[in-house]
Amino acid sequence: MLDLFNPTDDHKSLRELAADIGANLLEPQAKEHDQKEKFNEKLMREFGSKYSLFGITVPADFGGHGLDAVAAVIVHEELSRFDPAFTLSYLAHEVLFVNNVFHSSGNALRNKYIPPALDGKAICGMGMSEPAAGTDVLGMKTRAEKKGDRYILNGVKQWITNAECGDAFLVYARTNEKDRRAISSFIVERSFKGFSVGKKEEKMGMKQSPTGQLVLEDCEVPAENLVGEEGGALLHMMRNLEIERLTLAAMAIGIARRALSEMIRYAAHEREAFGKKLAEFGQIQQLIAESYARYRASRALVYETALRVNPDSRESLSAAAAKLSATQMAEYVTRCAIQVFGGNGYTRDYPLERLNRDAILLSIGGGTNEAMQKNIMKDLAALESFHS
Amino acid sequence: MNILVLIKQVPDTEAKINVAGGKVSEAGIKWIISPYDEIALEEAIRIKEKSGGTVTAICVGDDSVQQSIRTAYAMGADNGIHIKHDSYQMLDAFGIAEAIAKAIEGQDYQVILAGRQGSDSDNGQVPLILATLKDWGVVSFAKKVEIAGDKAIVTAEAEGGEAVYESSLPVVITANAGLNEPRYPSLKGIMASKKKPIESKNLNDLGVTPNARVEVLGFEPPPPRPPGRIIDGADAAAKAKELARSLREEIKVI
Repeated sequence: MLDLFNPTDDHKSLRELAADIGANLLEPQAKEHDQKEKFNEKLMREFGSKYSLFGITVPADFGGHGLDAVAAVIVHEELSRFDPAFTLSYLAHEVLFVNNVFHSSGNALRNKYIPPALDGKAICGMGMSEPAAGTDVLGMKTRAEKKGDRYILNGVKQWITNAECGDAFLVYARTNEKDRRAISSFIVERSFKGFSVGKKEEKMGMKQSPTGQLVLEDCEVPAENLVGEEGGALLHMMRNLEIERLTLAAMAIGIARRALSEMIRYAAHEREAFGKKLAEFGQIQQLIAESYARYRASRALVYETALRVNPDSRESLSAAAAKLSATQMAEYVTRCAIQVFGGNGYTRDYPLERLNRDAILLSIGGGTNEAMQKNIMKDLAALESFHS
Repeated sequence: MNILVLIKQVPDTEAKINVAGGKVSEAGIKWIISPYDEIALEEAIRIKEKSGGTVTAICVGDDSVQQSIRTAYAMGADNGIHIKHDSYQMLDAFGIAEAIAKAIEGQDYQVILAGRQGSDSDNGQVPLILATLKDWGVVSFAKKVEIAGDKAIVTAEAEGGEAVYESSLPVVITANAGLNEPRYPSLKGIMASKKKPIESKNLNDLGVTPNARVEVLGFEPPPPRPPGRIIDGADAAAKAKELARSLREEIKVI
């Protein structure tokens, strides 16, 4: 029988390692870093230097693991069971920078920026959203003008994961004022003249993961840091948004899986009320059974989508559907888990309130669920016929 | 310096062990390197990283134990030797030590490291018998190992304190908890471990006849724990009195 979740032995090994590292290295620090809103930068660097967990989708020739989108989903699912906020910063580095730069760049930029990102010497991120352009990404105002051997970038990037600590960012900027679609990708280093980091956001969840602004004021970027062709960023964006949405959906699956295991243990084995186990009450059965059925459905969708997502073809409809389904499911399941735990669920003695706060970000970041609905409708309307 | 590490594949220490018909049922069990052996392996890799040489992991068992040799590769072992024996649960410690001694005949190891005992059978015999067969020294329960030139300085647990031993090489050392914290393998290590060859030999190849000196008659699960008992009484003093009476007169422990 095909194992949708572990198609090969390599996937299975990857899952075991990520689960081991999650349980033993992420779990013990998750609560404290959430409460202190502090990023575990040392551990993130060790993900590269000690455990080589970066470069999942980068070919072995370039120092990566040469694995596919299913592997990316596996890592994000397993890590999110223990610390979704740390995993979000992992995603910004691994998917939004490493995967995106690798697939959009020529060898010169690959050879310069991929190795330090893989071994944890550099922590990276990506800048797309702006204060006045979120879902309407083509409305971005950041512009890049070529002057001699450099581009001069001006603008502000908003909601940037790893802004506080990042060494390099993939930044999207407009290169032609008259053409809405003329957007280009650049690699901007923290040390470049004119680069600074704005305020750090105080967030509801994902508190360990630092979110902030990138401020570009006549920021000088060497012309060779243009990624691919001038005006070529739309493809970079579309390609990367698919795997970003897919891995965000994978994070939702991991969060829900943890919430489910917590509530099953609590209701079936631990907590009693009126002389009976919680699991013997119909209302509790409803909360857990509904959660389980929705989790299983979303998980199957996410992994089936992962089989389709690859750098060489577009799969935006499936990725949007996977994200919409999984993130709504994770909000529902974590909320049910708090209800099953009652007063305990509302306290920080248990991880459920944290998982619920973290899950909500997944319905917003990487494209809101409303944007997913809009994209799904647009893609469906463009289909010549609806097959599946 | 070349180091040999004895690793045993055992059920995960958190696995639920089911016994049926006098045998341990292997269904659904996750198999791991015995935790003390993992500590021994980590120590060997650290010695290699510091002073060079090679680390060879050796494991006795059916084909499934190759998984543990691959884990040893992923952590940093250079070579792996699989002594294939299908019903190794019935092979006694002497048989295992003898097979290992034969398998490494003519090979140049200065140190053999092993866990103080397997976490399944808790015999703690194989490294000691192997040292005897090889006529090497042995230091058990190491908490700290230093290899300095042609000798090993080993700090080991002793009654009420610590003992420091100095041994010539070659030597057999068994690892105690606290010697180190074994590393997680890297993903690179795991992927590379799948491609490395494992040298596999069976007992015939080694000229060892399984001639068990200890016969395993069977396995029995421990008896179920009797239910607890709540001591009744009007107040704390009365309950304490009843508890003391019960311990003295019924259970006869005080």
